Amino acid sequence: MAAPGGAPAIHRSVANIRSPPGPSSSSHHHHQPHHPSTPSRSVVVPSPNFGSPSSLRADEDVIVVDFGTRKLQVGFAGDAAPRGCVWFGPDQQRRVGDFRDWHPDYKYDWRQAAGMWGWGRDHELWQGGDVRGTDLGLIGDKIERALREGFTKYMLIDSRPRRMVCVFPSGLPIPMLSAALDSLFSRFQPPTISLLSSPVALSVGAGVRSALVVDLGWAETVITSVYEYREVKTTRSVRGVRYLVDQTHKLLAKHLPDGSAAKSTDGAEEEEYKLSFEECNDIATRMVWCKPSKAPAATQKAEGLETLVEQDESENSAPSAIQRPGRVEIPLRSCRPPTTLNLPWEELSEPCENAFFDSQYSRSGFDDHELPLDLLVYRSLLQLPLDVRALCMSRIIFTGGGTNVLGLRRRIFDDVSEIVRERGWEAVQGKAFDQMRANPKIKRKGARQATGGPTGVASPSAENQEADGVWHDAANTLPEVDPIEEQLKKGQDKRPRVQGQLRAIESIGAWSGASLITHLKASTVSTIDRDVWLQHGAAGASKAADVDQKSQRQSLGPGGLLRAANVGTSWTLGVWGTG
Amino acid sequence: MAPLPFSPYTFIQCPCSDSTLLARPADAKSPTGADAEEDERTFDPRAPRSNYSLYPLEYLLYCEDCHQIRCPRCVSEEIATYYCPSCLFEVPSSNLKSEGNRCTRSCFQCPICIGPLSVTTQETRHPDANLLSADNAATPHSGGFSLTCSYCHWSSTEIGVDFDKPNGIHAQLAKIRNGGESRLTAKERKERRKELSHRGDSAAAAAAREEIEEQVPDLENQFANLKSFYNSQLADPTAADNGLSTLGDLGFSSPSSLSRIMNLYTGGKISDNKAKSRLGAIREALTPEEGLLVANLDEAALISQLHQSEHCDTASMAQITSQPPNLGEPALHGASRFTSSLRPIPHLLRTKRSKRCPVCRHIISKPEPKVQTTRFRIRLVAGSYIPSISIKPLTLPGPSGSSSSNPSDLLISLKPVHYLLTFKNPIFETIKVTLATPAATPGRFPSKVTVLCPQFDIDANTDVWDEALKDNDRSDKSSRNSGGTTRQRRGTEAGYQLEVGKIWERGRNWVSIVVEVVPASLRLEDGGMLREDEDILEIPMFVRIEWEAENAGDDGGIVPGAGGKDKDQKEKRELAYWCVLGLGKIKQN
Repeated sequence: MAAPGGAPAIHRSVANIRSPPGPSSSSHHHHQPHHPSTPSRSVVVPSPNFGSPSSLRADEDVIVVDFGTRKLQVGFAGDAAPRGCVWFGPDQQRRVGDFRDWHPDYKYDWRQAAGMWGWGRDHELWQGGDVRGTDLGLIGDKIERALREGFTKYMLIDSRPRRMVCVFPSGLPIPMLSAALDSLFSRFQPPTISLLSSPVALSVGAGVRSALVVDLGWAETVITSVYEYREVKTTRSVRGVRYLVDQTHKLLAKHLPDGSAAKSTDGAEEEEYKLSFEECNDIATRMVWCKPSKAPAATQKAEGLETLVEQDESENSAPSAIQRPGRVEIPLRSCRPPTTLNLPWEELSEPCENAFFDSQYSRSGFDDHELPLDLLVYRSLLQLPLDVRALCMSRIIFTGGGTNVLGLRRRIFDDVSEIVRERGWEAVQGKAFDQMRANPKIKRKGARQATGGPTGVASPSAENQEADGVWHDAANTLPEVDPIEEQLKKGQDKRPRVQGQLRAIESIGAWSGASLITHLKASTVSTIDRDVWLQHGAAGASKAADVDQKSQRQSLGPGGLLRAANVGTSWTLGVWGTG
Repeated sequence: MAPLPFSPYTFIQCPCSDSTLLARPADAKSPTGADAEEDERTFDPRAPRSNYSLYPLEYLLYCEDCHQIRCPRCVSEEIATYYCPSCLFEVPSSNLKSEGNRCTRSCFQCPICIGPLSVTTQETRHPDANLLSADNAATPHSGGFSLTCSYCHWSSTEIGVDFDKPNGIHAQLAKIRNGGESRLTAKERKERRKELSHRGDSAAAAAAREEIEEQVPDLENQFANLKSFYNSQLADPTAADNGLSTLGDLGFSSPSSLSRIMNLYTGGKISDNKAKSRLGAIREALTPEEGLLVANLDEAALISQLHQSEHCDTASMAQITSQPPNLGEPALHGASRFTSSLRPIPHLLRTKRSKRCPVCRHIISKPEPKVQTTRFRIRLVAGSYIPSISIKPLTLPGPSGSSSSNPSDLLISLKPVHYLLTFKNPIFETIKVTLATPAATPGRFPSKVTVLCPQFDIDANTDVWDEALKDNDRSDKSSRNSGGTTRQRRGTEAGYQLEVGKIWERGRNWVSIVVEVVPASLRLEDGGMLREDEDILEIPMFVRIEWEAENAGDDGGIVPGAGGKDKDQKEKRELAYWCVLGLGKIKQN
């Protein structure tokens, strides 16, 4: 890897021997001369409005920006980690030159802010998928200011136009995407912006082509199944970290000295906040933890045994002498008067329990938008085609702020294993079905049966997977010769891929994944030219399907990640545009 | 909570914030470009977006060639110097790419309180004695060195980190995990591995390799693994001379490689068909070496650690967010949760930047490149081109004169007050000022505003000495009792009567006018809450300045020069912008 590192120096020196712009690259490639000659430039550099000769050199570093609901990460492509992370917050929304934050007498009045924005909303860039009543211009302004801070404080770059790669959550509505792009294009003048969806970037960052990305995000939990770098299915639940913070507030408010009486009379639906969002958020990140799964997790696993041990420890809270008496003191400053709560440590797992699982309720009682996470994971796996499921279930990637809750990932994983063990991969459930399953006479020959233990998946594909290592549906007869498939096989290793068992893997994160993709010079599905965007905006985008489908297919293989280099004038917003 | 003392202020909206909406033709159907009538509306200083476009006058620059205000959003910047704000050492720009954005010397901030950390010897009893002498100590140190915070007395020994040498702390720290465990950086791992492959001894090599692989996979190593894996996948041995396949080989040997290099500059469209087809053929990573990392979901140890720790043992959000991205973090999740896992924060580097006008590319601000100096070579601040506005409450002596209008006093709802706005002309030409305000301030609580004299001229900013020689008794011009020529017409004869359409007071290069405001009543019908700053009486004001500039050449260069060659002809110029005047706080009842 020494050589790529040294590359930029060479690039710089070549920049001067540029020949005048030639024809478009597609024709260029066909007429590529075989004798040594100076090739013409294939693509004209889109010159920004405020271009200068010096701007050319800056092209070598590409900026990767990862947009989250509460923070924004910036850095150079090729780096392992972002250079900086900017959080959205009320102090960022002040006027320049407003230094009241530094005044010793000043205290941010969260009650006023909650009245204006909603509790904690001033810490968000956008409100999930809800465009109603959103000031899109404000989103653009927030992005601009945050990005400017990232550029000057963390990346230390000047304002020469640089190419950008933006990682957006794939569920982002077009108006918001458009507002973000407007702001980026008009304020930072990047020649192009490439869009990457975070699940794909995450799976690249984990080294896999297919994955089940469980994003325990701020506004909601989104589960995306990625198959061959293509997003296949998305399910979501409102049980995100924001909900966790809400629940944390509820717990703390319950324990407030004056809170208990008022709470009981007012009822839970009263949106009266007693503590500041900042404080609850802080406590949620610091102290809240997640109980291990109650169900006796698969006993054949070593990890499963450990879970049991831990469970005993925490519930009996006796075994070790060092163990503290199970109460914890939490100082609170945002309530009037400031106080210190002393509450059982056990209770600090309640917010997590309520926010993500709500296991006291029947599993059938939930609406589609508020499914508990274990069920959500199970459902989204269940709804996948068999082959995709087999691959995805052994490539579960947990990401998002919720992963910081201790024990949460384990809990979800164990609970899902438990559901799988109970039900298998049957969409149908209920008493009658159980009876039918129990009765060997009724049972059809081909019916799938749940196998014991979480490792088991009853997929017919399992039978032939050892044979060739390349998975294909058992029901199929000989697949017709598909050039893409062929190509895939050629590139594939003969070693069998892990599939059909639940397994969680680590990803280096969406930002780092995007950095990796950009570093490998893989172009993305959606790359937008500045000039084109400024002319047409989002309306100019073609549907992803319309854009040069043929060359796209060829180039991708089955991957949605990579696309034909030059699609001429038509461009797309990728996954965002199709919706 | 004591209310903050209020002092009147002025914010100016840079005209650039209007043009963002016009960046695209209005007819293009875009979800964001819907506000075509935006221009017609009165500027609302309380709209959340306004906070992003308002600046104090001191933050604004001015382009002499475009005759336009330039705010921090609409200048293009170039970096003059990179330096560490702690040790004030300049950092060459080449280091930035390789070493990152933080000081690589020994400048650290405390992870607990962000105070500066200093290197101290560990066994010493007098920590302050060796702050400076740590590195030239004659006696050999046996115990090593640590970083300590002189403010909160945090020491790096608390996280189990101590150093062998007092200098190069940054490099040493990169190799130590919290708790003292050593860590190989990605570069070292690679070298180690290469070394092994060169050596013949296979058994020892295998053992050593195992040892390397047993290292906890941190972010940096994981990224390096993945990168080398993907690179190896891309490098198809059958197509050695093709474009991207040989990322490492960047020679100029063939036209294709040359074109590839050039393509790197041309907007990301680099992959030809062959390269792409190879990209499609990446298989997935299968082993830890290739970057596949099976998650360890077992966090029982951390949970029990959490159980045994106090609230203050856990790191707060602020502490976590101020941590640098830690490449050596063993876990990819649940980073620094306890204060024991925080690490010293190397100082972020800073830059000195010169600023150009984005349109004409003229430099409008250029700092002295030396780090220690704070001077600027060029700095065209807007304050020397556009009039400054100062605000003070006007007290009229007379029957109601006893009520002292101290700036800190609160305004009473529905009780009219007068404010004196003083416009000061910084340029050498007479300017004509036209003001416009909405009759009622926008927002939930409309206060009534009347500018008594919305149009006036301000005399040129002539030489101070001319004026001083003309009349000697203007020494005390701020005092209203000095009388005489400073207050023309208004003062004595009219008996402090306010007259519509008349200037209150006029000086050499300044004019005062009176604004009458009737503060709104801050009463909400629905019993809701006041938002932050809603009790501050802010009036939006549209300022338009016209002046006739002499054309370029004959003045000292301070007067805006014009592009034309005709010297006799005077050129008419104008500048218009919104500004916001914060007058006072309304008393809440």
